[in-house]
Amino acid sequence: MDITILIGGAAGQGIQTIGTLLSAACCKAGYFAMAVNDFESRVRGGHSFFKIRISNAPVYASRESVDLLIALDKNTWEIHSPSLRDNSVVLADEDFSSSGRIVPLAFEQLAKETGSNLFINTVAAAAGLRVLGAGPATVQSTIKDHFSGLKEDLLEKNLDAAQKGFEKVADVLFEEQPLAHPSVPKGNLISGAKAIALGAAAADCRIGAFYPMSPATSIMQHLTDLSKRLDIVVEQAEDEIAAANIVIGASFAGARAMTATSGGGFCLMTEALGLAGMTETPMVIVNAMRPGPSTGLPTRTAQGDLRFAIHASHDDFPRFVFAPGTPTQAFEQTRKAFYLSEKYQVPAIILADQYLLDSLFLLEKPFFIDKHVERFIVTDDDMPDPGGYERFAVTDSGISPRALPCKGKALVKVSSDEHRPDGHITEDIAIRNTMMEKRRAKLPAMIEELDGPETVSPDAHTLLIGWGSSAGAIKEATDLLRDQGADIGCLLFSQIWPFPATAAEKMLKNNPDTQFIAVEMNAEAQFAGILKENTNINFSGYVLKYDGRPFTAQFIVDALKEKELA
Amino acid sequence: MSDKDRYESAYENQWCPGCGNFGILGAMKDALAQLNIPPEKLLIVSGIGQAAKTPHFLKCNFLHGIHGRALSIALGAKLANHDLNILVNSGDGDCYGEGGNHFIHAARRNTDMTLLVHNNQIYGLTKGQASPTSAWGMTTAMQPGGVISEPLNGPALALTMGAGFVARGFSGNKEHLSGLIQAAVQYKGFSVIDIFQPCVTFNRVNTAQWYKDRIYELDETKDRDDFGTAMTLARETGDRIPVGILYTKEKKEFISQIKGLEKGPLIDRHYDPDRLEKVVQEYI
Ligand SMILES: Cc1ncc(C[n+]2csc(CCOP(=O)(O)OP(=O)(O)O)c2C)c(N)n1
Ligand code: SF4
Repeated sequence: MDITILIGGAAGQGIQTIGTLLSAACCKAGYFAMAVNDFESRVRGGHSFFKIRISNAPVYASRESVDLLIALDKNTWEIHSPSLRDNSVVLADEDFSSSGRIVPLAFEQLAKETGSNLFINTVAAAAGLRVLGAGPATVQSTIKDHFSGLKEDLLEKNLDAAQKGFEKVADVLFEEQPLAHPSVPKGNLISGAKAIALGAAAADCRIGAFYPMSPATSIMQHLTDLSKRLDIVVEQAEDEIAAANIVIGASFAGARAMTATSGGGFCLMTEALGLAGMTETPMVIVNAMRPGPSTGLPTRTAQGDLRFAIHASHDDFPRFVFAPGTPTQAFEQTRKAFYLSEKYQVPAIILADQYLLDSLFLLEKPFFIDKHVERFIVTDDDMPDPGGYERFAVTDSGISPRALPCKGKALVKVSSDEHRPDGHITEDIAIRNTMMEKRRAKLPAMIEELDGPETVSPDAHTLLIGWGSSAGAIKEATDLLRDQGADIGCLLFSQIWPFPATAAEKMLKNNPDTQFIAVEMNAEAQFAGILKENTNINFSGYVLKYDGRPFTAQFIVDALKEKELA
Repeated sequence: MSDKDRYESAYENQWCPGCGNFGILGAMKDALAQLNIPPEKLLIVSGIGQAAKTPHFLKCNFLHGIHGRALSIALGAKLANHDLNILVNSGDGDCYGEGGNHFIHAARRNTDMTLLVHNNQIYGLTKGQASPTSAWGMTTAMQPGGVISEPLNGPALALTMGAGFVARGFSGNKEHLSGLIQAAVQYKGFSVIDIFQPCVTFNRVNTAQWYKDRIYELDETKDRDDFGTAMTLARETGDRIPVGILYTKEKKEFISQIKGLEKGPLIDRHYDPDRLEKVVQEYI
């Protein structure tokens, strides 16, 4: 089984509630699921949809065709009816077309009978649940679980609304009945945003500073929620410049700290990024990519900021860049970003995107929590002469012992100007060179910390090369093409900078005849360019997309076939 | 009382001889000695400019950051460890120009720290351009026709934004300034002193004599908790300019309102894997 349900309507109609309910129910019934959230940059009206894919096998991307359409308005029918298959089912408020395919349910009428048209989503969700095979008990318990926080009388009304929706679809026949055959749940649904916030908490992040910007805000919302139970403080700054500098101040004083923003905000943070680079202060920044330039498409997805992240701020200094592809990677790499940023005293950037952050993915294995978090901080006791402490002492590794201000006799002196080992400003040529070299001396060890790409059939003749959250769609496209007999594989990078050349080269040089194809959500194949600079491989083709909507496997397969690349 | 030599820095001073910044530095050392804050318990955060170089010339922990951002860095440090004694040294360009937005919000937030604005009414380090506080009509190489905007009034702006401790000082009156700094540091909240400081190299208008001719000290025995009076005093910048505390009033301090910080500084908390495990599991 592999079905897709699409719930569409105007912003403010409760589409997310319906989607969350249906996907949670399918998950609980033991199916794999993933869901994408597609919405416009407005609070009411327009067209939004929530698309759920339910399968017996793991899924990491959505599909183009729709098997069950729940249309809360006519617009939804008009936009999505071309994606329907012959025997797809459509539940709608009224019969919007003359095709006879729609099962009219009068969602609004039924909701009003219960007391308010606010209950439209409950009516629709219950109808959807029954069509998917749920019995009355399952519908009741799903509604109860979802609305458990509500007052008694409101819960009653929701149950009443659910009953109305449930009764209305008694005669609807849908070919798959996943909820009629429940088994053991495979895991929980989780968004990339939640995974990043949890990764930060697991890394013992204590401070979050942010300025709201889609699609990064949800990360900070989760961190704020977690701050009620953990030693975390989140501050909404006056702008991204302040947010990034708050992070640096906090980190300088000894707390692990992070900020999350999107491209426009990251532009403002580049100044602070340089400050972190020069003062060797750890900091973690999530850049939640959305299409640009400038304000671009605020609620859409992209992979256009890779070059920017690698080069942001002036002159050369080392930094880490991660691009997780799944919630599990998002959690683990966030934790790793904090760890490495502190170990090497360099900034770490996590490139996420709207697709990863706002979609729901099934988490099969629980997140791993460290028993102990390693810190890289020295105190007076670690020094023969705390009075002579030098924050930027020259070492072979390039890493100087980092003490905290006002925690002992050692004075911590830090300057954004080029400085001597003791932190005071200098213009001395030899010291400048030494300091530049000291900072760069960290690079070889930093590279060794990064893992190479995840692979599928790396010895194949044609290799798709991708990074970040496109991984799911690329893997699925690879599987589809292999099933059709193509000699194809893929390499999926998620730990990107400093470029893990040793790890990558092993896989890239296997066969001199290999044909490489870049699959990216940007216009210039940014990662392919970086790969070329670092490995000398050449690309035979590109599948690029920059319309702000995520890849599907079918899109990649079609593009490859059209270009006669597979 | 402690010896103020303990704040001597071995680092060579880089200010022009005769610069008003020396008076501020001297007053700071005196105030710190009077308050008995040893160098290892002091954190100075600064931006960029001549004024922002201050911490290099004084023995302390410091973060000499980037233009205009000192207050944000100081806030971050305070959130991480609210036991820190933080002084911020900034110039009028650094604080009111590049850092204007942060200044406004620092006054609103009221985090316990002291801001000293070295106000020479000119950009010193970049060699003599007009600053936000330069007088209307002042000519410079970059403003040959004279400044055609109104000068920014730091104390008045701080008052409007809700600051609870606002003062004006003059670097030529070290003892008085030291007293102001002590009162500011002791104030529980955001305290700001806008300090007139003659730039002997670039500002030919607001010379030491110019300030001396205008400045008068406020009566220290008077309560200064009336906003209207404070505003009037802050706007008295013509022939007579008052120095002293313009306004001081108890206000809700920022850190003290953060529930999560009641148990002590964040950096002193221990990593607790069991609690974390539980919270993470419940949160998913
Ligand atoms: C982002 C940025 N812009 C500009 C500068 C150049 N700059 C250095 S100091 C300064 C002005 C300093 O003026 P002020 O704050 O009044 O301090 P003063 O030097 O007069 O003490 C400027 C514009 C810089 N360092 N960084
Ligand atoms: S340029 Fe002006 S403010 Fe700067 S050190 Fe010289 S006299 Fe002082």
